[in-house]
Formats: sequence, structure tokens, C-alpha cells
Amino acid sequence: MMRAHIIERIDTIAINQPQTVAYQYGAEQHTYADLKTASDRIAHFIQAQALPAGAPVIVFGGQQFEMVATFLGAVKAGHAYIPVEQHSDAERIQQIESVAQPAAVLSWVPEAQLTVKGPVYSATTLAETIATGATDYDQSQQVSGDANFYIIFTSGTTGLPKGVQISENNLLSFVQWANPTFGVADNSRVLIQAPYSFDLSVMDLYPGLCSGATLVILEKEVTNNFKQLFEVLPTLKVNEWVSTPSFVEICLLAPTFDSQHYPELTQFVFCGEELTHQTALKLLERFPETKIFNTYGPTEATVAMTSIEITADLLAQYDRLPIGYTKSDTKTLVVDEQNQVVAADQPGELLISGPSVSKGYLNNSDKTTAAFFEKDGQRFYHSGDLVTQDQSGLIFYKGRTDFQVKMHGYRIELEEIDHHLGQLPQVKQACTVPRYNKAHQVTQLIAYVVPNADQTGDATLTKTLKAALAENTMDYMIPQRFVYQTQLPLSVNGKVDRKALITEVNGNA
Amino acid sequence: MDIENTVLDILTDLTGNDDLKDTMDLDLFETGILDSMATVQMLLELQGQLDIEVPVSEFERTEWATPNKIIAKVKELQ
Repeated sequence: MMRAHIIERIDTIAINQPQTVAYQYGAEQHTYADLKTASDRIAHFIQAQALPAGAPVIVFGGQQFEMVATFLGAVKAGHAYIPVEQHSDAERIQQIESVAQPAAVLSWVPEAQLTVKGPVYSATTLAETIATGATDYDQSQQVSGDANFYIIFTSGTTGLPKGVQISENNLLSFVQWANPTFGVADNSRVLIQAPYSFDLSVMDLYPGLCSGATLVILEKEVTNNFKQLFEVLPTLKVNEWVSTPSFVEICLLAPTFDSQHYPELTQFVFCGEELTHQTALKLLERFPETKIFNTYGPTEATVAMTSIEITADLLAQYDRLPIGYTKSDTKTLVVDEQNQVVAADQPGELLISGPSVSKGYLNNSDKTTAAFFEKDGQRFYHSGDLVTQDQSGLIFYKGRTDFQVKMHGYRIELEEIDHHLGQLPQVKQACTVPRYNKAHQVTQLIAYVVPNADQTGDATLTKTLKAALAENTMDYMIPQRFVYQTQLPLSVNGKVDRKALITEVNGNA
Repeated sequence: MDIENTVLDILTDLTGNDDLKDTMDLDLFETGILDSMATVQMLLELQGQLDIEVPVSEFERTEWATPNKIIAKVKELQ
């Protein structure tokens, strides 16, 4: 296949079939021609501002069409984009700004109160640009090859978020694999449920746009209200479903979530957290003709790089589902603590090497050096994921090698929550642990806290701590439960023994 | 155990909020105490422990917003 650029592939569709719908958001529809015009105008606008060459821009907003037009416009103008979700707290935006040093913020949030150093282009200005701006821009500036296409920020253990740099080459490697693997067809309708700041959204954003599909957006506000969700869901008529397993579990609560009521659904693609046997079995019962794919991949390796179709045979064979086989352009190794390859079926850390592996974290050489390294002349990423691989190359996820957990698809560093808690004046020491259900999913975060001497560990303190955390962490990082103790258990080397607390919460399972 | 206490136990376990019994009219969604995944778990627990069927497609958030409303709904469904 010819390695056409991402932008060229999308614009070619706009030229050849301009009236194909690219984006459906509520009652709004936008064609590929609209997308090209809007992104060209944004590109013209950005280039007219003469921003520092190559510096990224923050794109701030929700799931509306204009967000995607702005992503593409930034890339056309020669700048990587950093998607930041509109509900992010002010502190996180400032942290991202301090790390990324962006050239500008393009904000689609009306009345947004952003206290950042660089220029902010408001929703009003941007809307005017999309409505009436000039469409010419210098195409030679366009992002290509090894230059950054997007940068997604994840949490970092020291409290500062890490920006994963994804180049155009990284994204091309992903798109070229995703398209035949999951068979996104011209004019097919693909679901986008995840916010753009979460790389699960990329799972169908670029494979979809590069193949002339219609992106069908399920708004966050709809997802949150079940009655509305089940009114809207059947009307979307999606062919390809991409979500976290958690989200499909909500949908399975409705008995009408089945092939009779959703006859157009040809495939489910899951990523972002573990797909349990129970969920897959239930789905296959409800949708006997629909294909189910389980996939896996860290943001650092561009969305996903392993996959497998979950069939009835596979469900009969395995209690805990495999995450799949590595895509063909990528090499994975399972290694011990000395980075030596372990025997088949033995647990070890998964190392990933290949064209979709990120060049590292933006402006953070310490973390980059810690996570990316060379072995036998090849560059590998330390996934931190504990896996086993069988003789045939099939990979099984077993857990983490560190204290990172996933809850409802969000990647959470427990040490980061501890760090934030520890900064609060009421707290002497804190250790956050996950509570798992029978299917190995994290359902709750529990903070074990030693309050300072003048504090009483009661419900009032819990309220105060939750409110204080809400000021500088994401909602999903706030522990649901707080347990107060006079001291925390220590391990032999004198550190807080998180494993002992995890055992206390979950038993020895 | 009666319905009130079972519902409160489920909510306490899910939210980690031990004093819900003092705030029976607190809006759990607006205050962010219950998110969508916690709501799913609440419904599963209510179905499992109290043997009721909650039609999720008719789950109107405003009707389930406070501990008192949840208890009233559960009684209605029993």
C-alpha cells in the first residue's frame, strides 16, 4: 500500500466524495467537504498568527465537530495538537502548559476562563474563522514523518503529567494496521464515545476518517443519563462499536441491547481496560453474528498494537481472555527484571518495539530515558505490564509491574494520588490502594490516611480531603473511600507496604 | 434487613460516604458522589440484594437522585 499522508488521505475523500457525512454530533451532520474547508480555514488562521515553528498547540473543548476540524487544521499548519477535555480543572491545564510550552491555546469552550501565559484564541474567533476564513495555507509546513502529530497527556508519578508524543509515522503504522484488521469500510458508521483527551478515541477517529466512514458521536451528557442513553443509542445505527468494556457493561444492563434491536452492528472493538470473560460471553449471546475484538496497547505505542477476535471457541478455551497477537510491523518481548527474555508461558514485563512506538515524553528526558531504551540495537518501550506469551505468540495480561491501575478505562498512578494527598495540610501520610471485583477490575480506590495530630479521621475530614483533591486532580483520581489509621504498615525496606494494604482490601485472591 | 438499611449499606459501600443517613435528600449526581459506573454497580447490587428488576432504559436520573428517592423507587419496584 502506498504510504499516503494522513491528511492527504482524508482530503482525498473530501475531493472524491464531498457529500459523504464525516461527523454526526446530535442533530448536526458535517460532510467530508465541510471538514476539509473548516480545517483549511483553521490552518490558514494558525499560520497567520506566525506562531513558533513546530511548537504544539492545546485544543480545548468537548466532542463537537469543530474539535476535529481544529486538530486537522493544526496539523495542516505544522503544529502538533494536545487535546484537553473541557471539564479538566484549571490546575491540570496549567500543568500541561508548563510541561508542553504550547504556542497557543485554541479554545472551543465558550466563556472559558483560562489563565495561561500564551495566546488564547476563543471559540468566537475560531467559529468566525470556520465560517468565513480564507482556505489557503502553506502545505509545505504540514506535519509529516517523524514530527509530532498529537500529544496526549497521561498522569505522572511526581504529580506532573507526561505528554506522550505521537508522530505521523506512529499514527500511520496504527491506521494501516487498524483498517484491514477491524474492517472499517467506506460509509460505515463508527461510534466515538471516548473524549478526545483519551487515546481510545483515536481508535476509530483516524481509521474512520482515512476510509470515508461516518464518525457517530455519543455525547458525554447522554452517556451519563441512562434513560437518554437508551433512547439515543438505537437511533445512532452504528456498524462499528469502539468503547471500553465498562461502557458496554452499562449497555448490557438493558435487555434490549441485542442484535434484534441493533441489527446494523457488525463489530465491537474493545480497548482501554481488561475485557472480562463474563462480558464477552454475554455479548456473544446477545449478538451471535457480531464480531468481538479484544485489543491492547499503551498510549506510548499508539492506541493499540495487539488484537484477537473473541469467538465462542476462545471463550470455551480460556477463563481469562488473551489480549491478542502483536501486529506484524511490531516486535514484542516478554522479559525478566534483567531484560532477559523469559521462556514461553512464563510471566514477565512486555517490551514493545516498532514504528508505532513513541519517541518519548515531551520535554521530559528523565521519564523518557526511564521508559524507553535500546536492546540489541532496537529501541523498546517498557510497558510496565506483566504478561505471559504462549508458543504461538498469543499474549495474556496479568497485571502491572508497578502501582498503576486502570479504573473504567482511566490510567491512574496510585503514587500520584498519594503525592497529592501528602501535600494536604491535614495529611501526615497516605497510601491509595485499588479494590478489585471477581473479574479483576478495579471498582474503587481506597485511601489509607494517617491524619495529622490535630485532625480527627471522620466523615467531615473525608469531605474536606475530597474537596481539596478535586482542586488539582482529575475526578477519576479521587478515592471513593478514606480509611483513617494511626500508622501504615511498613515493608522490610521501610517503605509503606502497599501490597499488604492491597491484600487487606482484597484478601489473598 | 429492611429496605432503608440495605439501600444505605449499598450506597455507603459504593461511595465510601458514611454519613449518607444524615443527608437523605442530598443529590448524589449533582454532588458527584455517584458517577455512571457507580450507578451501574448500585443497580446491580439493588437487583441482587433486593430481588427487584430495574429497567435501566427507564432510568431517569432525577427520579433516583437522593437516598430518599432511591428508597422510594425500590419500594415501588418491589
